[in-house]
Amino acid sequence: MENDSLIKFNDVSYRYESDTDTPLPLAIKNIDLDIRKGEFVAVLGHNGSGKSTLAKLANAILAPESGKIFVNGMDTSDESLEYEIRQTVGVVFQNPDNQIVATIVEEDVAFGPENLGIEPKEIRRRVDDALKSVGMYEYRFHEPHKLSGGQKQRVAIAGIMAMQTECIILDEPTAMLDPKGREEVMKAMQRLNKELGVTIVLITHYMDEAVKADRVIVMDSGRIVLDGTPRQVFAEEETIEKAGLELPDCAKLAHALKRSGVNMPSDILTPDEFVEAFQRCVSGGGVL
Amino acid sequence: MVKDITIGQYFPGNSFIHKLDARAKLIVTFIALIEIFVCKNFFSLALIFIFSIVSILISKISFKVVLKGLKMIYLLIALTSILQIFYNEKGKVLLEWWKIKITSGGVNTAIFMAVRIITLIFISSLLTYTTSPTALTDGIDRLLSPLKKLKVPVDTLAMMMTIALRFIPTLIEEIDKIMNAQKARGADLETGSLLKRAKALIPIFIPLFVNSFRRAYELAFAMECRCYNGSNHRTRMKTMKFSWRDFVAFLWVAVMLAAIILLNHFFGAVI
Repeated sequence: MENDSLIKFNDVSYRYESDTDTPLPLAIKNIDLDIRKGEFVAVLGHNGSGKSTLAKLANAILAPESGKIFVNGMDTSDESLEYEIRQTVGVVFQNPDNQIVATIVEEDVAFGPENLGIEPKEIRRRVDDALKSVGMYEYRFHEPHKLSGGQKQRVAIAGIMAMQTECIILDEPTAMLDPKGREEVMKAMQRLNKELGVTIVLITHYMDEAVKADRVIVMDSGRIVLDGTPRQVFAEEETIEKAGLELPDCAKLAHALKRSGVNMPSDILTPDEFVEAFQRCVSGGGVL
Repeated sequence: MVKDITIGQYFPGNSFIHKLDARAKLIVTFIALIEIFVCKNFFSLALIFIFSIVSILISKISFKVVLKGLKMIYLLIALTSILQIFYNEKGKVLLEWWKIKITSGGVNTAIFMAVRIITLIFISSLLTYTTSPTALTDGIDRLLSPLKKLKVPVDTLAMMMTIALRFIPTLIEEIDKIMNAQKARGADLETGSLLKRAKALIPIFIPLFVNSFRRAYELAFAMECRCYNGSNHRTRMKTMKFSWRDFVAFLWVAVMLAAIILLNHFFGAVI
């Protein structure tokens, strides 16, 4: 199992620099975390819980105050490895407008591989592949500012994909998007993970997105409070609420029904599961 | 209102001029601009003026668009021409009133100057109308690349240009948003004296600047994440190649230069 580890946090703490004399509290407190190759991990947490800091630490943009982070065995505190670490772990940020560099979609996607000094023909191939896998190939000659939010964000994801990183960390990529845009981006991420085996770390505060992950990590004030499959994590209603989060809608409804005496299982996550369990309840005479 | 800004506007197309290599287009435009200043009489000037009109026709860009580009500077054209009338005292006197003397030489230079400026605008705007901003910066980057040997950071300059062009529409959108936000708060941007209106712009520009710095910061992060480090190891996805069209264009301006010099030689100079 040890070989499968892609990003490894060993007792990591981090604190942002303060403008005044009093130091700020730790943003990340003694975190131990192991993200394995091919996983689809969702990181949940309310604002200021340290989840974005986690992304910047994994990408060597920030160096830990104490502890070590290893990406494929490379120490992120070692500045000479920065370049290689960023070729392994790519980050997509929240605001697509502020991460698109070029004036034409395909040129923006080519930006990363161009920086890596790759042959023009190979760049062409990678750009086309990346745009196809996020479903933006028809838009390759468009100007980014004329695209919708979801489309821009998919271009940003393609830009990281074209660098062929093993892992993509997405820092609230859907926060600024409408429901349709969110679904487009979510589908693109799932496809990358399932079809191309890219490790995905999705930082989000939408529960319904986290449900689709293989593994969910819940953060609260710089610590990891829950870590497990969505089913395991969302069964812990109390801890989730203490972390300032809410359960997915269907889970909330199931819990409420259960409290009022309906015989519902406590591990319901998706609408389909809910419908199935509810039907069983009704036909089995489970209601009251 | 702000959407009227047309700096570096590009009209995609498929014409001969659109298909020219960006480097060739830059060089040809540069030579053509020099040729405008080489012209000494109406014959040579007419030649280059016709050249600019023919080029616009070939590019299939509508004349409406090109004339709209002139609108911004018609005052400049008028002013320069009028000044020429008064300052030139050569030739026959056409009109004399008090201390002002209008001569045929003055009128000639006035017309000459006006046509010259118009041709200048036609040719230079044709470059931006028919070349995508990316191709243009790429072309400049490649043309200037010999300067890298003199330690001029050509790559970095080209990247700065690309980013500036990339953010023009974003910032224009943002100005619109801020203006609406301030109007919603009761800001009065359209009435009052010039000074008052200028003052009303302050609450527009301060948020704009603050936001731009935030954007720059985030963009820098994102660029770092994509392994940009300003070094010379960068490669390009698109390679540029000269084609027969580019040689035709070069030949065209070369022949024109020769013709202009001949016309200058055989006919008397206006200026």
